[in-house]
Amino acid sequence: MKTYLAQRLVVALLTLLGMSAVIFALLRLAPGDIVDILFSTAGYVSPAEKQAIMKELGIDHPYWVQYLDWLRQIAVGDLGKSYRYDLPAWQLIKPLVPVTLELAALSILFAVLIGVPSGVVSAVRQDTALDYALRVFSLAGLSMPAFWLGMVIILGLVTWFAWIPPLSYVSPTENFKLHAVQFLLPALAVGYRSSALIMRITRSSLLEVMREDYIRTAWAKGQTGRVVIWRHALKNAMLPVVTIIGIEFAFLIGGLVVTEQVFNLNGIGRLLVQAVQNQDNVLAQALVMLVVIVFVVANLVVDVLYAWLDPRIRYS
Amino acid sequence: MSRARIAPFPALLIAFVVGAGLISPAASQTASAPTPKSGGVLNMMLREDLSQGFAIHETSTISTVWPAMPCFNNLVLFDPLKKTESVETIIGELAEKWSWQDNFRNLVFFLRKNVKWHDGQPFTSKDVKFTFDMLREAPDAPAKLRINPRKDWYANIEAIEAADPHTAVFRLKKPQPSLLLMLASGYTPIYAAHVPPATYRTACVGTGPFKVKEWRKGEFIEMVRNPDYFVKGRPYLDGLKYFVIVERGTRQAAIQAGKLDASFPGETTKTAAEQLKKAVPQLVITPFSQNVSDNIIMNVKKPPFDNPKVRLAVSHAIDRRALIQAVHQGGAVVGAASAPKPLGFWGLSEKDLMGLPGYAARPADEKALAKKLMGEVGFSPEKPLRVEIVTRAIAVYVDMASFVINELKQIGIDASLKQIETAQWHAMATRGDYQIGANLTGIGPDDPDANLYENYACGSPRNYSQYCSEEVMKMIDAQSQELDPKKRLTLNYAIQRKLEADAARPILDWKLDYFTVWPHVKNLIPHQSIYNFGRMQEVWSDK
Repeated sequence: MKTYLAQRLVVALLTLLGMSAVIFALLRLAPGDIVDILFSTAGYVSPAEKQAIMKELGIDHPYWVQYLDWLRQIAVGDLGKSYRYDLPAWQLIKPLVPVTLELAALSILFAVLIGVPSGVVSAVRQDTALDYALRVFSLAGLSMPAFWLGMVIILGLVTWFAWIPPLSYVSPTENFKLHAVQFLLPALAVGYRSSALIMRITRSSLLEVMREDYIRTAWAKGQTGRVVIWRHALKNAMLPVVTIIGIEFAFLIGGLVVTEQVFNLNGIGRLLVQAVQNQDNVLAQALVMLVVIVFVVANLVVDVLYAWLDPRIRYS
Repeated sequence: MSRARIAPFPALLIAFVVGAGLISPAASQTASAPTPKSGGVLNMMLREDLSQGFAIHETSTISTVWPAMPCFNNLVLFDPLKKTESVETIIGELAEKWSWQDNFRNLVFFLRKNVKWHDGQPFTSKDVKFTFDMLREAPDAPAKLRINPRKDWYANIEAIEAADPHTAVFRLKKPQPSLLLMLASGYTPIYAAHVPPATYRTACVGTGPFKVKEWRKGEFIEMVRNPDYFVKGRPYLDGLKYFVIVERGTRQAAIQAGKLDASFPGETTKTAAEQLKKAVPQLVITPFSQNVSDNIIMNVKKPPFDNPKVRLAVSHAIDRRALIQAVHQGGAVVGAASAPKPLGFWGLSEKDLMGLPGYAARPADEKALAKKLMGEVGFSPEKPLRVEIVTRAIAVYVDMASFVINELKQIGIDASLKQIETAQWHAMATRGDYQIGANLTGIGPDDPDANLYENYACGSPRNYSQYCSEEVMKMIDAQSQELDPKKRLTLNYAIQRKLEADAARPILDWKLDYFTVWPHVKNLIPHQSIYNFGRMQEVWSDK
């Protein structure tokens, strides 16, 4: 296991290095730069002044020099300085990490709590009215964008209760009830979509496992339905579900942007979109690298979970 | 419709706003409202986070001016309690009084004593000299701005003298009575001489009625009452909180739910205002001019728009009134280079507008004239002139451009739309790297000097059409130096007629905003420019 983890770590580092080059290049393929954006608030662009600002921001060097400078900074734990805010990137990102992590975790929790049991019920009661109803429920979840559902929730609240969640982050120590409401509503909107995906994967995977010989053997041995499904079938059926949960969680770290906007939660997704729109490349690079790290770690965790779920899987 | 059947323009506007049921009795709030109460915090919205922090001098966007204004003071300011801005409504802020001398060549400001910056340092005439030497980029200026969008406003200042700690003298190259109006804009705060200008991108050291308590990036700006403010008993409010709400639907829901007390200037369309009024009838909605126009920029240095006939044909072709209905659902008014009365001060009268290209009562006549002009240069709907029309990739620009494309098609101009990202838009326009474009132009103070020098003067970086007329330049200079207000107004009418006749930058409409507040918000009165009424010194809450 240790050797496996060491190998994965090396691969992860290479992945990060490769991604850093891709991110750096992609961000610079967009037309214009931060100085054009700065001038856009002034309504004109002066070539001489533009050159001076580029020099001030250190973006007048060739791209490869800028890339190496960035790698050098990362190596010493410095994510660079946001062009737009004139502040260290980490100083801007740090307070948003708990917001996005909490929202993503709650969304996944909702998704699992709704998706797994409904997937099991749907598989066990295959082709019954309940199965059809749950499948329609999950299809609706897949078809409904989370931001749309979020907006419907907001509009419903304001129309019927003349109330909407807080407009800025409320910490749990400040007001736990308000904090819970602030996160539960968007988590529900996002979690519903993810639950639909999890439900469908759980159902199809469980249906496949239920047809295996060892399940037939368990039934033949006179095991109760609960033991057969929950102990023997579901554990093996969970491998693809765990993969989906891992991927969904990593996706949500950078992909909550529209939900964050609708519920006015200042999270990583919103900052990332802002950074890209403003061509604040240093900040955007730092944020994308953060999402890449989450993806790499999530995949590693999923792989380790495989071994726990299926004793036949051994890493060496 | 014959000309005789059209109601006079101001009457039309009043009929429109009253008819729409958007003005409630409280909209006519004035200084004579009930006795102000102290205390309370006003919650307001921002569409985006501050793009350059509180550095008003480095930006030209309401997104900065609106939340930064309460931190600062000007020498003079347009009276926050008066709706219409003019030289008569200017009041002193850091200047207790002022005096024009030497036939409007010298402007002397007598400054308030015992004014302190938010960090405790005393305010003196050195700060005034520092600010304006920096703005006009004087050779011996002690500091330089990273971006200086309004340098042209101060081009006529020859020197600034800090005669004593409480007297500042502006020496002008030639008389310019309108300088005072530019100094009264929200775009003209005084910076502290002891604070590097770059500091304002992350913090705010002003003399204003409110101090910045916290700026949580991307989330909110919180301000608290300045206890040392030099106007005794002001501000009334204990604090201000500006929430950054990127999603438009959420902003509207927040005001409807009462989480916010006021809308953002320039934010509320007529349709949105009608929805809000229907949901919450007690909301106070005031239609006013944003001082932002929809206009067509045509590159006069490049074919085919170097030909005045083609430019005129474009101007004749666009039915302004239909555009207002189709694109703004009636939430705009027609006007030439300056916002029309009664929304603005300098705009042409209805009678004068009717005689200009594109403003006639019968759009069919205008189209026929446009076709004739196009025919004279060899084009027709059957044999169209193919051009590319550029616009900014933002919905309000694209909607307008789409309407224009349809209008041009009818006279023999086949225009394809090219959307330009914000990052590229101004760079492209400044370079003149386009043929024709659909553009929006915002003007700080409703004064011809700010507008004409910026958008029509030869060589100005914001003169995107690159239109340059010696005759017009002389007229612009003449109106700037004119001491008689009536004569200045007449000169401005002539300039506007000339600009429209030359199709220098055909103006399509002037947009209206439907500023929305809850009834307990008092003395927050929108002016005819969105950039000048954000000080919040006089605002109070009747909760």
